[in-house]
Parts: sequence; structure tokens; C-alpha cells
Amino acid sequence: MTRTFTTAATVEDAIEALGSGARPIAGGTDLVVGARQGKASLPEAIVAIDRIASLGGIVEGEDGLRLGALVTHEEIVANDVVRARFTALADASAIVGSHATRAHGTIGGNVMNASPAMDTGGPLLCFDASARIRSTWGEREVPLDQLWTGPGTTAVDPRELLVGIDVPAPIPATGSSYVRLEYRRQMEIAVVGVTAVVRLDGGSIADARVAITALAPTIRRVPDAEAVLIGSDGAADGIAAAARATAAGSSPIDDVRGSAAYRAAMAEVIAGRAISAALARARGEHVEIPASSSTYAGLGGARA
Amino acid sequence: MAVGTSGGKTFIRPDGREKVTGAGRYTADLASTGMAHAAFRYADHPHARILRIDTTKARALPGVVAVVTQGDLPDVRFGGLVQDRTLFAKDVVRFEGEIVAGVAALTETAAAEAARLIEVEYEPLPVLTDFVAAMDADAPLVHSDWSSYERDEQMVADGNTISYSTIVKGDANAAMARADVVVKSRYESDASQGVPIEPRAVLAEWRGDEVTIWSSTQVPYAARSGVAQTLQIPEANVRVVVPLLGGGFGAKCDLHFEAQVAALARAARRPVRLVFSRQEEFRAIAQRREGIVMEFETGAMRDGRLVARRARLVLDKGAYCGEGGFLGQMAAMHACGPYVIEAISVESFLNYSNRQPSGSVRAPTAPQVCWGLEQHMDEVARELGLDPVELRRRTLIERGAEGPTRQVFDEIGVKQTLERAVEMIRYDRDLPEDEAIGVAVGWWPSGPAPSGAYIHLNGDGSGTIVTGAQENGSGAVMAMPTFVGEELGMEPESFTLLYQDTAAANWDMGSCGSQTTFNSGRAILAAAADVRGQLLDAAAAELEVDREDLELAEGQVRVKGSPDRSVSIADIAGAGTIHGKGSGDVPEVPAGDTGGCVGRLGSETFAAPQLITQAAHVKVDRETGVVRVLKVAAAHDSGVILNRMGADGQVTGGVVMGLGLALSEGTVFDDDGRQRNPHLLDYKLVTCSDAPEIEIDWVQIPTENAGPRGSKGVGEPPQVPTAAAIANAVAKVLGRRVRQLPMTPERVWAASAEVGS
Repeated sequence: MTRTFTTAATVEDAIEALGSGARPIAGGTDLVVGARQGKASLPEAIVAIDRIASLGGIVEGEDGLRLGALVTHEEIVANDVVRARFTALADASAIVGSHATRAHGTIGGNVMNASPAMDTGGPLLCFDASARIRSTWGEREVPLDQLWTGPGTTAVDPRELLVGIDVPAPIPATGSSYVRLEYRRQMEIAVVGVTAVVRLDGGSIADARVAITALAPTIRRVPDAEAVLIGSDGAADGIAAAARATAAGSSPIDDVRGSAAYRAAMAEVIAGRAISAALARARGEHVEIPASSSTYAGLGGARA
Repeated sequence: MAVGTSGGKTFIRPDGREKVTGAGRYTADLASTGMAHAAFRYADHPHARILRIDTTKARALPGVVAVVTQGDLPDVRFGGLVQDRTLFAKDVVRFEGEIVAGVAALTETAAAEAARLIEVEYEPLPVLTDFVAAMDADAPLVHSDWSSYERDEQMVADGNTISYSTIVKGDANAAMARADVVVKSRYESDASQGVPIEPRAVLAEWRGDEVTIWSSTQVPYAARSGVAQTLQIPEANVRVVVPLLGGGFGAKCDLHFEAQVAALARAARRPVRLVFSRQEEFRAIAQRREGIVMEFETGAMRDGRLVARRARLVLDKGAYCGEGGFLGQMAAMHACGPYVIEAISVESFLNYSNRQPSGSVRAPTAPQVCWGLEQHMDEVARELGLDPVELRRRTLIERGAEGPTRQVFDEIGVKQTLERAVEMIRYDRDLPEDEAIGVAVGWWPSGPAPSGAYIHLNGDGSGTIVTGAQENGSGAVMAMPTFVGEELGMEPESFTLLYQDTAAANWDMGSCGSQTTFNSGRAILAAAADVRGQLLDAAAAELEVDREDLELAEGQVRVKGSPDRSVSIADIAGAGTIHGKGSGDVPEVPAGDTGGCVGRLGSETFAAPQLITQAAHVKVDRETGVVRVLKVAAAHDSGVILNRMGADGQVTGGVVMGLGLALSEGTVFDDDGRQRNPHLLDYKLVTCSDAPEIEIDWVQIPTENAGPRGSKGVGEPPQVPTAAAIANAVAKVLGRRVRQLPMTPERVWAASAEVGS
């Protein structure tokens, strides 16, 4: 039960509140929903950071994107640079929760909640993003591959605040996608998700990133799948081999959302679709955002 | 704004504005001065004997104003056909949502904490979750000593079996033996939930020895009599008021939490309010549909004639019978379906288990059994080499046909619904190999019952309609001013409604059984006819003309052909003496030959049956098993449609609800009978985005022995064949059957990946 609720006007105010034990709230889409469901009760002290102007906004530079912690999923989807160059992030942001979740939920909250099922994590990881973390003792950058330490846990101290996420610009001829298995068309939570980022050089794949969502204790890359892709020509058999490697690199659980066997099978199917969509985009072909919808029943299958 | 037409006129539903703008007040929005908050202590085991309850610590907690257990209350068992329940657990808990004690405290937090502080010592008992194995000789008994319970004489009460019902027509065994083909199928449906958007809320306040209870119930009169019975007070001392109701879908039928809250309020000597969380709502009694195991066997001749049907159904009633004792027999009727079958032998077992009790969720048992039967019918068609639509064309009932219990049908339009649905979906068109169209037919009875209404005309010519009918959101009650206006030549806006208040109106069955327009509408029209007669008498005297020469129009009683000779209804009403009342004649339930049937609980014949064909066009992602429904065509015979907008709304909602039942909505129980997904994160309702194109048409034919103006029920049928139509479409794509409901992506994927069929 929350006893104190304060609103921070500045990052410094927020950090001070964190230092005395408060937990931050921005969109509240994880904190409040989790409390209602009995997952974790609301913190004793809450500091609202949603009115700190300096934590908002997307800055597009030559060297990449700087996403303020308060940037909502809706803002990300609407951003033309994200859609064109960081398409997987747009794919993911477009399908987080519901319209309401996307309007209120923030990228900072999504990343710091550290759910292995978060949608934006795979794309950010594959784009080599890092988190900017501020505290009374300074600011530091934490690459996302070092940020998540387990389901719901991070390498960040409770007294530190995420202020933004930096995403370096990808090299031209890079295509990306995030595909999630979707039982229904809104309000979904990932049961299986795969991010693929590929860079073409001439006819072959010069670089590749593949990450899995909801298939391991944290979102993580699958080096074996990437290795299969790098140097290949992007033909169907290579994609299939990489998809198999993705499934082999996952450690799915058995729960009410799906059996481990189904998840493993779906890891392969969804990986195949994600890689195909990323390749198509790298070749300049149009694959509609979000890729989860446009690859339903397979890439090129009519959108249902 | 909810605008529609009735009889060609536009109407705006009276509750539309407050609901759309958010100004409307639901039970949870109400508060009373000095009000305390209720919390329940639920069972800590799904099946256990209570050895001791110690409420000392709870009572000592600051802010706690009452703690109530069954020991504080009259020793009364209640529960419809079997009186197997008590308000709070007595001696034994039988499912995870069973209420052991209630607490009232000045804050919600204190109430929750006090509920936790109640100490309960248990002796765990063996947990029975397998409702089929419940019939084994060595199965643990959910109710070990229920010979002492009062019950309807048709309830078998044997072991864990509550009811055993059969539908018997001719000699099914002999007929089966001479059939050209015999097809056997087995299907299994999981439990699913009603999930109204508004969780339960109850507020109770005593004045002396009278109690007013505001409750989110579909059945205020059943709640009233239940409170009176369990607290041993006269019904006259209990007033149940329903503020706006945020949906029910049958999950809010029966007496549930009104009496516990009233008992807490009496003990606390304060108003007490209970508001459920979503998780409580999921685990509460009677929120869910029953799981059913179904075995069908059909013998058919080469020309499609159905000569024999055998079926065996086992239903999971959960821990208590409640009002749902009739469900076994209802399921048996749906195992026959609206078909001409020469000989029938269906048996149906309604069993206890240590799971959440099931209830009367929208068309209880029908969607699940229809889903099984209509897939079975497609299997029969395949075996005969007939198109599934053609088989139905040859075998559906029509006027003069004999039903499963030799009920002879009046004019009915089921064959017309088949042809209309097939036409609307464009059944014969070519589709991509991952798309297909499935067709299913179902039926559902109308429910003749008493009802009553008053209409008072006020001195200024406005009027008040007093009805016991309950508005569940469908608009059935909201349309009543229009009907009255039509009868009296007045504007619907001249009338306000006094409804959902047991102190004001006659007894009514409530918002259940697709009965509101059928029965309450009949009563309202009868009351309007009474008012009409009084107005005609008064005007005839005033104008010195024969009644027969008068008409009511535009707020006047006037001489036909001479509109200048008139008297205004407002003038006649000015004396304040125009008060109409009416009930109307309850249509008779048709006769049948039920001599061979046992467990007769009222479903053995179907009064004014509503008949439905739905066709679903689906696309299947074979690799993932994810099914998308692209279009549903729904053709219904609900008799004469009185309010097209309201009726279409019921079909739209019913189809979407059916989509959830078909593809995603399933309660998963663990080995202890506890729900694993009692929340909206993992109990997957369909969303607006999943809703397909829905094309609706009504086969409106004159219907004998029906409701007002030849109407039948509308609310439940849309739910009946939706999952079945989707299933038949999915099977067409896969070439295999998905034999468990809901047909989740994983189950479709597994069926798709199966070797052979």
C-alpha cells in the first residue's frame, strides 16, 4: 500500500526521492496492472517522473537516436526515422499491449521492468542500444546486454534513474523486424517473439542479429542463429537453418500460455518470419509495420 | 448515442446518455454515510473439513466492525433444485472460491487484513477434479452426506451425480443396427467464464428490520427471495435495487452475495459495501460455463436420413448445484439438435467436482454441445459423401416435424435460416487453401414465465412504466417506452421507467433465459392495453361516441376520420386516475411424449424455439495454429423482431463472445481444482480488433404460441452455433478435427501436425 506519492519536477528531485526509497512511476502500465493482479503490491513510496520535461522526446542525430525515458510507444511508432531505420523497434512498439498501453506506457518503463516478454527489448538489444543511468554520484551508460540480469531484475541500483536510451545508427542496407506470436490482435503479451536485424552487402548477409523474447529468462541474442546467417545469401534454406538454430538456442517454459514444445516449435516459425521480413526490408521491399500482423500465415501471405 | 428504430421510428435509449458520458452510476459507485467495506475470507483448500475458525485477531484489528461466519446465521441450506449451499461454509469447503467468513471494516485495507487474520484450521480431504471419474465407485464424494439435503424429486443425487437425464425416442439401438453408416465422435469442452465488464458489487443498508440491497445482479427477485430465505426474514422486508448493470452474461444470475453483505451490515450496524476484484470475480461461484465430455453416435441412411442418435454427456457442475440443476437435461436436448431423428437415446450426467460451480452463462451448455454435435454432423456428412449444408437441408425440422420428445413444431424458420446464412457467406465461392467456410445450426427455447407491469399516467400527460424487468445492457427494457408509446399513440419520450427495484414492481424472472421482451414485454403491452381501454372509455364518455369509433394518435383520443373531434390524453390523465396493469397470458409449453425420459427438469420440449444458422469464414495459419475469423453470417428465426437495433446488437455481441469461446477463452484448472488463469492477462477475451465482419438477417415468420406480437427470445441464441461454425471451417482447412474447446492456437497446431486424421 502506497503511503507517499510525490511528483518530481526535475531529474534531481526524482533521484533524491529514489535515494530515500521511493520507486519511480511514469505510465504505470506495469506497476499498476501488476499490483491489481497481485503480482507485487504497490511500493510504499512512489515518485512520479512523468512530468519531467527533460526525460521526454526523441532526438534524431547522425550517430543515432536518443530516446528519452518517457517516450511512449505511440511516439516511437509515429516517428519516421524509427520506422525507416529502426523498423524492428517500430514493429515492437506498435504491438505493446493495447492502444491505451501504448499511449501511456514508456520505453523507459518497458526496459526497466526487465520482463523477458517485453517487446521493445529485442530490437534495442540487436541495435546495440545502451541505457543512460543517472544518480547522485553521476551518469553512466549500461549496454542493454548487461542491463537485464534475470526476469524482473537489472544491474541498476534502486537509487539510480534511467534517463534515456541511446541507439546507434545502423549501417545502410540494414533491415530489421520484430515478430511476435499473436493469439489475438490486441492486448497480447509475448509468448514467443523474435527480433532479426540483417545487413546486406551485395547479395550476401554481412552482419546479422537475432534475439529471442519470452524464450529465455532474459531477452538475449542467439549467436548460433546469427552465425548461420552471416555470409549466407539469404535464401530459404539459410533462413530455415537460422530459424532452427534460434529454436535450439531458446529455453522455453511450460505454462498456461503454452507448452514448452509448442513454444519451441513456434520459436522456429516466428524466427523464420522475422528473418524473412528483415531481409525483405534490407532489400528495400515493403513489409508493413507491425510485422507481426503482416507476416500472419507467412511473409507474403494475405493480411487477414 | 444508442439510436435505433422500432416500427420505423427512431428511438434513443433512455440509459444511453448516462452510460456513454460516464455519468451513470453502477453499484460500486454508490456510497452511504458511515459505510464499511466488506472482504471475504476464502477457502484455503479446495476440499477440506473445517476444524476450527478463530476470528479473535480479526475482531481485534482497529477499524473492524463485523466478522460473520455461518455459525452466526440461521442454519439454512439453499440452492434451487438441490439445497446444497450455505452462505458461509458450514463444516466443509468444497472449492477454492468458497466463502469461509466475511469481514466489514472502515477501510478496504483493514477489511482485507482482517480477512487474512481469521485463523482457520482444516483437515484436508481428497480433491475431486476429474468430473468423469467422479462416477467411479471409489471416487471421493464432494457432498458426503447429501441424503439430508432438500431437493427436487427429479434429481438423482447418486454419489457425485446430481442429475441423470435422458432423452428417449423409439428404439435407438435397433435403429442404429439398420443404419447404412454409423459415425462416432468424442469431443470435450473446457470451462469458460462469463466475464461481465463490471465485477460484482453489493451495498446493504438496514433501517430497523428492513434492508435495502443495491446489487449488480441480473435477478433481483431471486436475490430478494434468497436473502429472505437465508436470513429468515419476510420478503417484504427485503428490497433489492439494481443500479445500472455492467453486463452479466448469465454470470450474475441466482442469489450470490447479497445475503452475506446484508448479514455483515446487520452485524456492523452500518451500511456495508462489497466490491469484487477481477480475480475474485473469476473464482466466484457460478461465473463459468461447465466443462463437458461428449460422445455422439449417429446412424444415417445413404440419402441422409438420420435414423438413430446415441449420445452420452458428462457435465462438470463444480462444487454446488445452485440454479443450474437443469443443465444436464438442457445439454441432452442440444445433443439432439433441431433435426428430425427417428430414434434417440441420449443420457446426460451432471456431476459434482471440487471446482468452481458453473452457472447459467449465456445459453448454458448449448454452445459447447452444439460445437460438438455440429462437428459430428459434418463428420456424418463426410461419411455419406454429402455436402454438410445438403445434409442439414435434408434433416432439419420444419412445421409438423417431430422433435426429440415428439414435440410437434409450429411454423419455424430453421431451413430458411440455413439458406440465408449460406447465401450471405457465399458458401460456394472459391477460397485460398488456408481459408474455409463452416456452417452450424442450433436452437434455444424461449422461456414462458409470469411477469407484470404497471403504467401510471401522470396529471400532465407524461407516464411512468413500472416493470420488474432487468436491463442487462441489451436494451430490452429500454425499448419498452417505444412499445407503450406505439400502443397509446404517445411519444416514447413521454414515459420514464421505474425498474430494477423489487419494492416497486411485480415479480419478474430477471435478465435470463432470453425472456425479457418475451415475458416482461408481454406484461407491458397488457398494461398498455389496460390504459388504452381506460382512455377510450373516458374519451367515449366525453365525446359521446362509441369506443369503436375512437383511435389514439399524437397524444389524443380522437374520432376516426374526424381528427378535430378529440380529447387530449393529458386532459384525461389530469384527474390522476389512469393506472394500468397487466401480465398477459403466459404461452403454454408445448407437450411432448416424455414418458421414456428420466430426469425431466423442464427442458424436454422447447417453447417457441429460436433457431439459428451461422456460417463462419476463417483463415488458418497452419504453422502457428492461429485462427482468424474473417466473416460470420448469422441468420436467425426469433419470430417477429420488435427492435431491429437491439436484436442486431445481441447477434453482434453474441458472435464476438462466441469467437472467444471458440478460440481463446478457457479456464485452466490445476490438479487441485484451482484456476491457473483467473485474470484477464491469461484468460483471453477477444478484442474489438478481432471482431469479424458480421452480416445479420432475420427470418421473420408468424409464430404461434410466442411472445408479444409474435416475437421469440433473442439474447442467447447468437452464442449457440458460433464456435461450431468456426470449428467446421477450421476442420475444412486442416482436414482434421480439433476435439477440445477452446480451439487454442496450440490445439489447432497440434491437430494440424497430427499424422493421419
